Amino acid sequence: MKLIRGDTISKIISFIALIVGVSFLLLMLMFFFKESSIGFNFNPNLKKFLFQEGWSPLSSPPSFGIRHAIISTVFVSGLSLLLAIPIGIGIGLFLSEIAPKKVQILIQPALELLAGIPAVVYGFFGYAVFVKNFEIWFNMPTGECVLVAGIVLSMMVLPFIASTSAEAFRNVPWEYREAAYSLGVNRSYVIMKILFRKALPGLFAAVALGIARALGETLAVLMLAGNSTEIPKSLLDRAQPITALLATELGETSIGSEKYHALYSAGLLLMLVVLIINISIWLVKKRMKRLTYA
Amino acid sequence: MHESVTYIETSIGASTCTYRRWRNFLNTSMEGFLWICGAIGLLLPLSIFGYICFEGVNHLSISFITEYPKGTPLGTSGGIMPAILGSFFLALIGFILSFPFALFGGIYLSEYGRETKFAHVVRFFVECLTAVPAIIYGLFGYAFLVVFLKFGVSLIAGSITLSLIMFPIMLISIQEALLSIKDEYREAAFALGVSKIYIIRRVLIPRAWPSIVAGIVLAVGHAIGSASPVLFTASIYFSKGNVSLDQPVMTLPTHLYYIVSEAISMDHGYGTAIVLILGLLIFNLCAMFLRKVGSLKQ
Repeated sequence: MKLIRGDTISKIISFIALIVGVSFLLLMLMFFFKESSIGFNFNPNLKKFLFQEGWSPLSSPPSFGIRHAIISTVFVSGLSLLLAIPIGIGIGLFLSEIAPKKVQILIQPALELLAGIPAVVYGFFGYAVFVKNFEIWFNMPTGECVLVAGIVLSMMVLPFIASTSAEAFRNVPWEYREAAYSLGVNRSYVIMKILFRKALPGLFAAVALGIARALGETLAVLMLAGNSTEIPKSLLDRAQPITALLATELGETSIGSEKYHALYSAGLLLMLVVLIINISIWLVKKRMKRLTYA
Repeated sequence: MHESVTYIETSIGASTCTYRRWRNFLNTSMEGFLWICGAIGLLLPLSIFGYICFEGVNHLSISFITEYPKGTPLGTSGGIMPAILGSFFLALIGFILSFPFALFGGIYLSEYGRETKFAHVVRFFVECLTAVPAIIYGLFGYAFLVVFLKFGVSLIAGSITLSLIMFPIMLISIQEALLSIKDEYREAAFALGVSKIYIIRRVLIPRAWPSIVAGIVLAVGHAIGSASPVLFTASIYFSKGNVSLDQPVMTLPTHLYYIVSEAISMDHGYGTAIVLILGLLIFNLCAMFLRKVGSLKQ
């Protein structure tokens, strides 16, 4: 009797703990909608907020469009992914197909180290190494630009893409490779024709994870992209991605003002994009599971 | 690739040699590319880490760790003791706030509510939240804790924000750790007639301990290093180093950000960066030790 009662109590306690934790997170989502819904209202034309108006809070009348931030985000994270996806998938292939055991044991912790370095240290590293040198190489007044931010961001997303894609390649059953090699084809054929096709859902997850990381990265981008509200036109222009906009402006915004709501709307946009990416990863994973069981 | 296919189709006999040569070239170049990728994967982390350690080690001294920031502008001389204290207490309080919920929540998901609709929904929701960028948590902490609950920019607001970041990571790793234990252990224990709490306490948690610690390390390490959630909720440019719940604190990441963005002192930037990295490294080593101690208990 005593046993059963103790069990019920522990069940209830752990249930309550879960509910409290999760409801706090739900509260976060709801609060975001509350703070930003007004933002969407005061900008009744959503299209204007997202694509047409510039960000000039000091002009009269002030305008709070985040066009420049969206374009900057696309520029910076696009560039970083362009660099990180081929190399990341290459590292994944190297780890699962070519690397001897000893090399694997070396690279795995090295990638973990790369993933464990805080974003602000990356920002500092980029500032010390690239920004200073860019000023000399390209004869720029200040070295912060899309290119620097993109390069450093690619280093930050690289370990996530590499380890997820290595996982995807390792999950392809060994029999496929044996069958292929026994027919006399070489390694590049196996990789191009078999591994890529079989590991496609996993690779999709790796890329999507990389995109989500790149979009949400704040500190490195804030320190390296240059924080200018102009729309970047080339790789050497200064830019201000959404996360940098939020981090720059929130501190000096009066609560409840139009600008405040505009910032929370921008945050909501960012959150929704990341959530959509995550949900699509989840759907692909689910499909993958069904395929392997079938 | 395309040319080779047409070759085969037109004149198989004559061009087998060319095709084979092309194939070999493709194979060699692909293997070369993969080896280069592997080299990048190994050398890039080491060179970033080595660069910061190499440049930073000259600026590291006892006084840098134990003194307050000094000089005009502040941060050009002296040390970063208040920032170390601030980061430590933020992470510690955040951990204390979120760990019990994550532990019991993980136990519920794995032991009581396994395979229920509720557990799946919660798991999906929590997984989505681990992907939400840290700055979003920072915005929430600012709007809800600092403004709505009137905590002000303070240690407690920052710790709660960090605990929200840690909670989903720890919950998932604890659930996975418990799920990965084979059912035989539970069945054997049940057959002996002990209660479920006893099994959780004496069988499951000791077995899952190394993975649980790994999850904690991941979550807390992430929280210590991230500046964006504490930028608006807890951090201040300078403090005297007295830690109290309703006062703002200095933190290592935000201190590094401030002194770089205000172009105050590169030397201090290197020093702060190396303290942050070495702090995380020491934390990881301690956790490895704790993992060993925990697993010896079984």
